[in-house]
Amino acid sequence: MIEVLSNAALATVQDLGRLGNLRFGVGTAGAMDDLALAAGNLLLGNAPGAAGIEIPVFPFRVRFVEDCAFALTGADCAAKLDTQPLLPWWSHQARAGQVLTLGPPQGQARASRALLCLPGGVDVPEVLGSRSTQMRGAFGGHEGRALRQGDLLRAAAPRRACRTGFGVVPPAFALPSPGSADRLALRVLPAAEYLGFAATSRAAFWAGRWRITAQSDRYGYRLAGEALQAAAPMELRSHGIVPGVIQVPHNGQPIIQMRDAQPSGGYPKFGTVIEADLWRLGQAPIGSHIHFVETTWDDAVAALEEKQAWLARVGRMVALHRGDTAQGAA
Amino acid sequence: MKAPHELREIAGWLAATDIALLELRMPGGRVRLGWRDGAVTVLGDEAVPLAAADTFTVTAPSVGVFLPAHPAHPADRGSVAPLARVGARVEAGQALGLLQVGVLLLPVPAPRAGVVAALRARAGAAVGYGTPLVDLRPL
Repeated sequence: MIEVLSNAALATVQDLGRLGNLRFGVGTAGAMDDLALAAGNLLLGNAPGAAGIEIPVFPFRVRFVEDCAFALTGADCAAKLDTQPLLPWWSHQARAGQVLTLGPPQGQARASRALLCLPGGVDVPEVLGSRSTQMRGAFGGHEGRALRQGDLLRAAAPRRACRTGFGVVPPAFALPSPGSADRLALRVLPAAEYLGFAATSRAAFWAGRWRITAQSDRYGYRLAGEALQAAAPMELRSHGIVPGVIQVPHNGQPIIQMRDAQPSGGYPKFGTVIEADLWRLGQAPIGSHIHFVETTWDDAVAALEEKQAWLARVGRMVALHRGDTAQGAA
Repeated sequence: MKAPHELREIAGWLAATDIALLELRMPGGRVRLGWRDGAVTVLGDEAVPLAAADTFTVTAPSVGVFLPAHPAHPADRGSVAPLARVGARVEAGQALGLLQVGVLLLPVPAPRAGVVAALRARAGAAVGYGTPLVDLRPL
């Protein structure tokens, strides 16, 4: 059991998302950095989709009410257990009464969200097949809302013997990307209305440097850059959209749908950030700049396979190191 | 301890491999087998570069690639912040460096508190069980 000590603005319980319910008008939710959540779970011997805590605002403090293993992944937040500095992307052991403090993200990999995982996952009820917090509908996660000071959260398997004190190389250093340490590039597939935009706007989209504005959150990222102009006015009925879809409203400034996106929308769709790159985008901080690189269906599928292969390697290596006989990793 | 004929047998197995050094640790002590003058033979402890008299050497607990700093740690004047600097005081159990084994990172813990006297392994060096990594001067 852990107790939230800080005013945990916008920290939420998330798993890999509430998939398969878009037809009921229920969005996916889920961790903005699914790779960090899955890796944190694997470090503890959990199934990769167990629920963890996504922390986007710092400092964040929790007190361990009982002895408990935990894993920290995602943004490197100069974490401390009482006064002892902790390594990022690592499994740790806390004793009852110890306080975990996460500070502002640091480091070369520009990340903005930390993930805290507990043995067996955070024990909240499953709703429609997921433990993710659905903010719009105020259900799932912990009481259907963001965490608050004084909240108590249970680990599903707090006393499970758990080998801790080791970590994994963060995927930002392991997975190939068209970007670099100081240039986040996201791979995009052109979408249905792409050719409805002026050729100059299409060129500007790929060439441009887009700023993630302060009007960006788990619902969507509003970007600022050269306005994208439609060749002719487009009127669309509302249609299904998914996380990653880049819409262009009338002002020409794109919006990328993120995990809490509503399941339908009516703006023209310019492109879609590929699924394999959404974790990088989910970590991009407000005020940072991103670039887009055009890709193909085959390359998008290959990138997804690379990501899944990395997770499978993590699952295998961690299981060997932990000496697990039965392994939860898919 | 092993009998001489057992050591000869092990030396024979070793000669058929490209293993440079085999250290057997047993309740009665340790035996090191390795190549000398074109044959596998029992080596004395002189084969190990010894630490200065007032220090002790922390060796690799596993096969891996030695990293003196976490790959994600912030740039510090062009180089990553090391886990143990020469002259720095370390506590028992504190990581002196990391061993990367594929995607895994394993700590090299200080067996007791001390002051870092010397780093013995290069960043990025492939190391084996028992490779000297860090010299500590006990407190």
